[in-house]
Amino acid sequence: MTKQDFLEKYGQQDEPYVCASCGNCTLVCPIFKDLKWESYGPRGKLHIVKSIQEGEGEFGEDFARRVFLCNLCEHCTYVCTTGINLDRFWEVTRAEIRKRGLMPTPAQFVLDSVKSRGDIMWMGSADRLLWMEDIEEVVKGRILKPAKVAYFPGCNVALKAQLHDVARSMVKIMEYAEVDYTLLADKEVCCGAPLGWAGNFEDINEMAEKNLETILSLGVETVVFSCPSCIQTWKEYSKYVKEENNLALLTASQFIKRLLREKRLKFEEQPMVTVTFHDPCISARVLNSIQEPREIIDDIPGVYNVEMTPSQEHTRCCGSHGLLDVVDPVLSSRIAEKRLRDVTVTPATRVVTECPRCILGFELAKFTTGYEMKVQDITQLVAESLLPRSEGGDTEE
Amino acid sequence: MRVGDIVGADNVSVTRETCMMYSRDVTSLPDLAYQIVSPKFDIITQPVDVPSLQNLVWYAIDNNIPLVPRGNGTSGWGGAIPTRAGICVDVSELNKILYFNEYEESVTVEAGITWRDLLSFLERLGFTLPVYPSSATAATVGGFVASGGLGIGSTKHGDILKQVKGIEAILPNGKVVRLGQVHLNPQEDTLLEKAEKGTKWLSDVLSDMGLGTPEQESKLITGTYGTLGIITKVTLKTIPNLQLIPFACSFESMDDLVDVASKILADVQPYFLRFLADNYTSKLHTLRNLELEEGKYILSGALLNTIYQNEDDIEVIKELTQKSEGTLLDDNRAWFYWSERLYPLRIKRHGPSLVPAEMLAPLEMLPEILNRTKNELKKSKVAIEGTLSNDGTTSFMVWILDDERNRFSFTIGWYRSFQIASLAEQFGGLPYAVGLWNSRHAREYYGDQSFENLKKMKKKLDPHNLLNPVKVFGGRVTPGKISLTAGFMVGFVVALMTFMFGPALLGIDWLVQLLNSSLFLTLPNYVLVSLIGGVLGIVVIKAMTLNQALAIGIPLLRIASKILRK
Repeated sequence: MTKQDFLEKYGQQDEPYVCASCGNCTLVCPIFKDLKWESYGPRGKLHIVKSIQEGEGEFGEDFARRVFLCNLCEHCTYVCTTGINLDRFWEVTRAEIRKRGLMPTPAQFVLDSVKSRGDIMWMGSADRLLWMEDIEEVVKGRILKPAKVAYFPGCNVALKAQLHDVARSMVKIMEYAEVDYTLLADKEVCCGAPLGWAGNFEDINEMAEKNLETILSLGVETVVFSCPSCIQTWKEYSKYVKEENNLALLTASQFIKRLLREKRLKFEEQPMVTVTFHDPCISARVLNSIQEPREIIDDIPGVYNVEMTPSQEHTRCCGSHGLLDVVDPVLSSRIAEKRLRDVTVTPATRVVTECPRCILGFELAKFTTGYEMKVQDITQLVAESLLPRSEGGDTEE
Repeated sequence: MRVGDIVGADNVSVTRETCMMYSRDVTSLPDLAYQIVSPKFDIITQPVDVPSLQNLVWYAIDNNIPLVPRGNGTSGWGGAIPTRAGICVDVSELNKILYFNEYEESVTVEAGITWRDLLSFLERLGFTLPVYPSSATAATVGGFVASGGLGIGSTKHGDILKQVKGIEAILPNGKVVRLGQVHLNPQEDTLLEKAEKGTKWLSDVLSDMGLGTPEQESKLITGTYGTLGIITKVTLKTIPNLQLIPFACSFESMDDLVDVASKILADVQPYFLRFLADNYTSKLHTLRNLELEEGKYILSGALLNTIYQNEDDIEVIKELTQKSEGTLLDDNRAWFYWSERLYPLRIKRHGPSLVPAEMLAPLEMLPEILNRTKNELKKSKVAIEGTLSNDGTTSFMVWILDDERNRFSFTIGWYRSFQIASLAEQFGGLPYAVGLWNSRHAREYYGDQSFENLKKMKKKLDPHNLLNPVKVFGGRVTPGKISLTAGFMVGFVVALMTFMFGPALLGIDWLVQLLNSSLFLTLPNYVLVSLIGGVLGIVVIKAMTLNQALAIGIPLLRIASKILRK
């Protein structure tokens, strides 16, 4: 075999050599924890890449499959001693895999779907209106209305029936707080995140631009997301977001916290609910949205948060990120089961999170494990705890 | 029977990638190293319980297969890499916490648990460990106990081996033994009978050989890199997690730093003291533009004591630092250095490859050793740091930064690691660790008598040298194709030359005449003699021990490096 410098064009050729083999990444990797062989952990995979660079290993299907067995959960990047941005590294390796036509079929399907239908599930733009069912009266004046705040539910929330309530809850909160908001409805397209996970960097900016064009034409200053990955993708890949700083991209909890600070939300006493907040990987390790959800939960009377181990920056992945849920759904589900096991050792009866993928992963794991617990988005918890207007829940002090 | 039948099919791997990955530690070895040790294990196993591990040992004995125990491969001295291929025993699946008793101040764990997991368990209960390694985030308890050394906490509590109350191990003959005090819950102790039998057998053997004090018994397994037994359980001391106060001081010179450090050690007895030399701090990216720290000598450490004691001690440290014209850094910086204690490899990005070298040296010699090292390695990029112990010694870690992609230069530069070990001798120090690469210094490291005892026991317990072969005690090399070819070539040429010119040079006339006669002066004879020489060359290479190979190779590398390396 000959030497291959396939990383040079991405400027990543030094990284496999920079790896100190300290093993920090491997011990936090959800894939390694499940498959337990080093060659599936980040340290092992880096060494395989090194052996390919040196002409000793083969860049084949087996390697491609290993690289796609990864949640891109940012945990290895977070703990790396020598500061290797491993997630970025796996993404460029995936880009090379795509170029060489070695993509796993399910990942290729997602890629094709995003390109041709604008979403991850081969649906269509009209389907993005389905979540508005039953609240047509409330939202009809909001669609493409010029406003300061835009709500971007993202593909999962807009298109998957079990997550529609997340979007409806956000609308309820915005209505309650009398926020001047707008919805992109069928003009919304995928944020482009799955393209990055599948190694297609060329088209991400285009996807982001499509959305941004609509958003900017409405005079929006703040975009609220139900999915942290959308924010990460725009921050990393959208030329506009990188160059202009006048658009605030907020997670649901960051936005709700802002409303609370402005005293625009009031809560009703809840009947002693113990919850545990599962930090989604991206919001905790990339967006640093760690304290906001906890402060929101603390603000709701009668709701108590207990911490899981590990949590916050050290949170464990739910298993659904980075296309693993389509490439190896069984492995993905096993990882989610492990995280649910962390919940079962706390007194919590409910898991609250702020990422639609985590909710989907946990719902599936609940089914496979038989654990009885409620899985909720922070938006849903807030929306159902709001003090009814008739009981003085208006915005006046 | 196959290995999968013994440890479970899911716990065995023979794939190329897995074998490659488990066959290395944190050091990138030059290709030349694989001319004296084998590059890969044949089989990787992850036993999940002691009985299956015991069966694996018996299987290895029956089939004459080398066994190498491995934690998470976070050391750099080759203690867990293959020397004669064989089976890698990854103990990381044995990772349970078995027993904790706050009154006895002890915790018993399986060998494969990481120090990080054990620390987070203890800290939740208000306890911590007297000593843990700087690689605690990934290193296993078994790995550090098997290799020994200084760590976080050694400044107050000394070597890790002093913190071990007892161990359970599987001897090279498959017997389970418990040495020292291994605390376990009696109702969960399924191996008690087996272990008692094994321990009695070992005691008898030791007394027969005149070696049998309990202290010597536990020294057998701890600090000997798994050459005399695979550690399966460890009982460690614990200490109350009192108030932790990190501190950091910066100095203009190493002399000032050592002066203050010795006074702090005498007056305060801190939990941890570490020094970072100027060439280390100048490479820490996060220190960029910090006037008081970048390129300065930093002494960082921590106090772990009662609030009142800490208040007094920090004042003492402040006073001592000011007297020596040092600067006591603020709390933020102190906490930064405290968290950095677990990431000494940060500077690797400047390499991108790293050749580690480390020695144990007397504290007062530090400035001189530092100058000498800087001088010896002036053509290399180095970063130096170390940890201070409570016995007046300090570890002196030299990270030599290089680029393994420049294969030739990297290979001939490999001698520098050994050079530091030799430097230690000159200053009355010792190599920090033995493992594989420093087995030449094993006698000085363990002490004459102890090493002799260990050798006797190795012979008795592991006559075929199957458990972690070649480590600590040395042994024959596993030659690669290049070294065999080189042996053949040298033998060939030497035989040819001897045949042609030897008798004439030695003045043996009758032999010269005989050889010059038409009977001998034929091409087939020349070829035959040269071939015999070549074969003898191969035999010599195969019979060579690792220490002999290193004794020949290191000076050659040094000469090559002086001539060829820029």
